[in-house]
Amino acid sequence: MTLLGDVARELLGMFLADARLTGATLALVALVAGLVLRLGVQPLIGGGVLLIGCLAILTEAAVREARRRRRND
Amino acid sequence: MESVSWAVAAPAVGAAFLASLVEVVEAFTIVLAVGTLRGWRPAVSGTLAALGILGLLVVALGPVLDRVPIHLLQLMIGTLLLLFGMGWLRKAILRSAGVIPLHDEEATFVAETAILTRADGRKGRSLDWIAGLAAFKAVLLEGLEVVFIVIAVGAGRGLLWSAAAGALAACVAVLAVGAVVHRPLSQVPENTLKFGVGVMLSAFGVFWTGEGLGVDWPGQDLALVVFAAIFLTIGLMTAAFLRRPVREASR
Repeated sequence: MTLLGDVARELLGMFLADARLTGATLALVALVAGLVLRLGVQPLIGGGVLLIGCLAILTEAAVREARRRRRND
Repeated sequence: MESVSWAVAAPAVGAAFLASLVEVVEAFTIVLAVGTLRGWRPAVSGTLAALGILGLLVVALGPVLDRVPIHLLQLMIGTLLLLFGMGWLRKAILRSAGVIPLHDEEATFVAETAILTRADGRKGRSLDWIAGLAAFKAVLLEGLEVVFIVIAVGAGRGLLWSAAAGALAACVAVLAVGAVVHRPLSQVPENTLKFGVGVMLSAFGVFWTGEGLGVDWPGQDLALVVFAAIFLTIGLMTAAFLRRPVREASR
């Protein structure tokens, strides 16, 4: 059971290492899908929003984690 | 089968190779500790059993993915790649900036050796089981990430076998070097590799997710290279920003 638990933890950890990064990324994909598929925004504009959004989420996640760790040190 | 340009094939095979290199080095450290302490029989048995399960996983998932409509598949895999790739890149940025410590293969080897040594009081056969299980678990857990990467970068464009070949090449390379040096491969620039893989997986994530939503990227497959360059630049800039002293960075 420990092995199965470790496998489950590994799989979850692969995608949920940082809950806010995961949530923000899923929200961004949903937003872009909504813009393109529901509101008829040009797909290329949606693609641009996706790229810039990912870069912003990544930077925020790294800076937030660095500040949190340095505060706790 | 749709023809695939080098701009997609090279990063797919490269990402599978480099990611596998990182994971295989980590698994190799544990297998080496098991082999050194308890002999190569439990180490090799555990490793082969885990590789068998991982192989079955790829063989089972490949045909299933073929049945999923291509746009849905790209959207699903693209989103998973974004979560996984940006997770790796975030960690690599933090390691590169010195916020979290680098992975230390020597320390892992010592820790695993200590665990197996503590169990030394048990009977020989049961100890072989524990040692074999340790090798099995290490290869299985590290291999899961490799399997995901191979499927994720390969499935969208029929590159599954090319990506698998990239992963296999990494296994062979690590085993060959490991057999010669016979100690943990602590000289491998693991974080640099993780940085590179995180960049490639994130670029693939944006590319596939966009294609899944009907985006016709300018430059077609070459857009992938541009995305990788952008993620690399932003990643390096963020690491450099975080490397500065706290007071200066928060000003």
